[in-house]
Amino acid sequence: MLGDLSWLHVGILAVSMQRPLSSLPLSSSVTVKLHGAGFQFAADLLHLSPPQLGQEAGLTQQEALQVLQIVERGGGGGGGGGGVCSSLTALELLQKEEDLRSIVTFCSQLDAALGGGIPIGKTTEICGVPGVGKTQLCLQLSVDVQVPQCFGGVEGQVVFIDTEGTFVLQRVVDIAAAAVRHCSLLAEDEEQRAAVATFTVETILSNILLIRCHDYVELLAELHLLPRLLSDRPRVRLLVIDSVAAPFRLLFDNLSQRTRLLGGISQQLAAAATGRRIAVAITNQMTTRLLPGGSSQLVPALGELWGHAPTVRLLLQWEGPRRLATLLKSPAHPEATVQYQITADGFRDADESEQPHSKRPRTDTDQSEAGAGEAGS
Amino acid sequence: MNCDELDLDPPVRAALRRAGLKGVRDVLGVPAVDLQRQTGLFPQDVQRLLSTAAAAWRTRAPVPALQLGPGCGLESGLRLSVGCPLLDELLRGGLPAGGVTELCGQSGAGKTQLALQLCLTVQYPETHGGLQSGVLYVCTEDRFPIRRLQQLISEQSRLRPDVPPEVLSCLRFSDHVYIEHTADLDSLQLCLSRRARVLLARGLVRLLVLDSVAAPLRCEFQADDWLTRNKQLLSVSCSLQALSREFRVPVVCINQVTDVFSQSDETLGPSPSSLSPALGLAWANQVTVRLMMRRLSGTVSAGGQSSAPRRLEVLFAPHLARGGRGCAVWREGVRGVAEEE
Repeated sequence: MLGDLSWLHVGILAVSMQRPLSSLPLSSSVTVKLHGAGFQFAADLLHLSPPQLGQEAGLTQQEALQVLQIVERGGGGGGGGGGVCSSLTALELLQKEEDLRSIVTFCSQLDAALGGGIPIGKTTEICGVPGVGKTQLCLQLSVDVQVPQCFGGVEGQVVFIDTEGTFVLQRVVDIAAAAVRHCSLLAEDEEQRAAVATFTVETILSNILLIRCHDYVELLAELHLLPRLLSDRPRVRLLVIDSVAAPFRLLFDNLSQRTRLLGGISQQLAAAATGRRIAVAITNQMTTRLLPGGSSQLVPALGELWGHAPTVRLLLQWEGPRRLATLLKSPAHPEATVQYQITADGFRDADESEQPHSKRPRTDTDQSEAGAGEAGS
Repeated sequence: MNCDELDLDPPVRAALRRAGLKGVRDVLGVPAVDLQRQTGLFPQDVQRLLSTAAAAWRTRAPVPALQLGPGCGLESGLRLSVGCPLLDELLRGGLPAGGVTELCGQSGAGKTQLALQLCLTVQYPETHGGLQSGVLYVCTEDRFPIRRLQQLISEQSRLRPDVPPEVLSCLRFSDHVYIEHTADLDSLQLCLSRRARVLLARGLVRLLVLDSVAAPLRCEFQADDWLTRNKQLLSVSCSLQALSREFRVPVVCINQVTDVFSQSDETLGPSPSSLSPALGLAWANQVTVRLMMRRLSGTVSAGGQSSAPRRLEVLFAPHLARGGRGCAVWREGVRGVAEEE
């Protein structure tokens, strides 16, 4: 039968040629025309010239040329969608992932819960009520990502997209100065001393690229430009969006448009995180959900579907006077709750004395090394 | 901005025209999948179209934080002094020139007093902590306390001994306080979108005070209207933020407080008292700096005057630690009280 024959024919060609045409990034009208003319797989088009294809499928010359170019490239190319990846074994993936470091948070308990810090190559969402410390954690991460490699850091740059106007330079300088102080106290060998000499507040600030977006269109525009920005600046290791929720909360009326736009954003962020090997940290606001029976509950904003976008979800919340960070979602780590505090120096471990479960008294030197637990190893 | 201004291939341009997409904003604001369906373009063309449109839409390339400062148009670091060195110390220089600052508290706590004081400090030159311009004061609750303002003006030399008398004497304070009374939400919106914009654009005003934000929203809606109320709240807060951002001016909103009945309702963080700011989470999400004023019991006296002690608390702010400072309302204005050992 003809179908069997074509199957055989395809079998000896390259793997990518077995792709059905519908999986290639073609416009829908073109796909319909190709199907109508009897073309099913990429291989079916292989030996055709543009005029031939145009004639057979009723496409314009230019469309036919584009189709053939896409088929030749195996569907890849500049597009955001498809594209064939060479397959990897799980072992290779594991090795790849182990090469990626995490960004420490300077709160050793939170680092432990996250398995070393905010993971590179993944999207982490930080949710919480206003004033609980979301922005503080983002600012802290923007400084921490620059810790020199000899201190166990990532030594990267950061792109900070501020949508709420909460990026206050005064505060970044505080946190940066504390991190510089911290590293200079830890410097032991020659290499570390040399690294400390260049790790100054000025260099930290020059490595933070600030983008301010005021509405969702500006945010979408910046995300379209992100691939180019990241390839121009290969040292960027962290993208912060503080917050994703603010520009989208005004799109209250058209929820379906909002959902689809957010879907696009989550794809772009995932592509940036895995493709460019950067950590993506985004913040989200909380909103009240009314439960049947008149009670209410605080949940992260932007809806259920958005909850699937981040790989790791971290909830910051108050419990009386204490601040707690709860790992809500993480593929690699169990749910955990740790206490933290915001000090003049930034995001830190809570004082041991305030923690009910710990009996070990903490000395001052211990505390000055908080957060370096990961950095030093 | 129009799509015709973009550098696009003729077929893409034609497809956009067929789909009826004229503005760059329309192109960027549509999900990529929809754009592809509407225009019938190839995905690569859509990607190229989107990045061209995005590059044209972007107003400013990413700025390294080192280059921030006055004149860069992003974070100026400019602060509006409160008019008292002790309180300025608590606020690290004063109110930030971008963003919404909320001042909440019970009635009689001194919120309006502090707001009136800001109406005067904003008129000083920048060397004295001001912004060298006037203020638009929007009243939604009460009549504007004009007598008290007159009194504050006449006592300025006592409040600000740091300012040389020749500077003080050339400031004509009452000429630069624009007062607006709005009784309902519609007129508030109109005031923000028209009059405030005109005054700010002409540079006549560099501070916006809304006293109070809660009054129109609290009285016009029933409890089950929360969805409509939320929408109104969002649109008011967005206009306030837009004004603050566009003209880089501080916006001060006075807010009422509500009693917290159950202890479990402390999700917004520990409150220094059993009171929490009104309007809930939807409003709190829009506030950059939240301050609370509390009236304490007892009296403090100084220089032949006495006053009830108050406390100005920082509930949250991106650049401030939680904390507070004692203060009191005197004839010349609100001043911090030196902490006793």
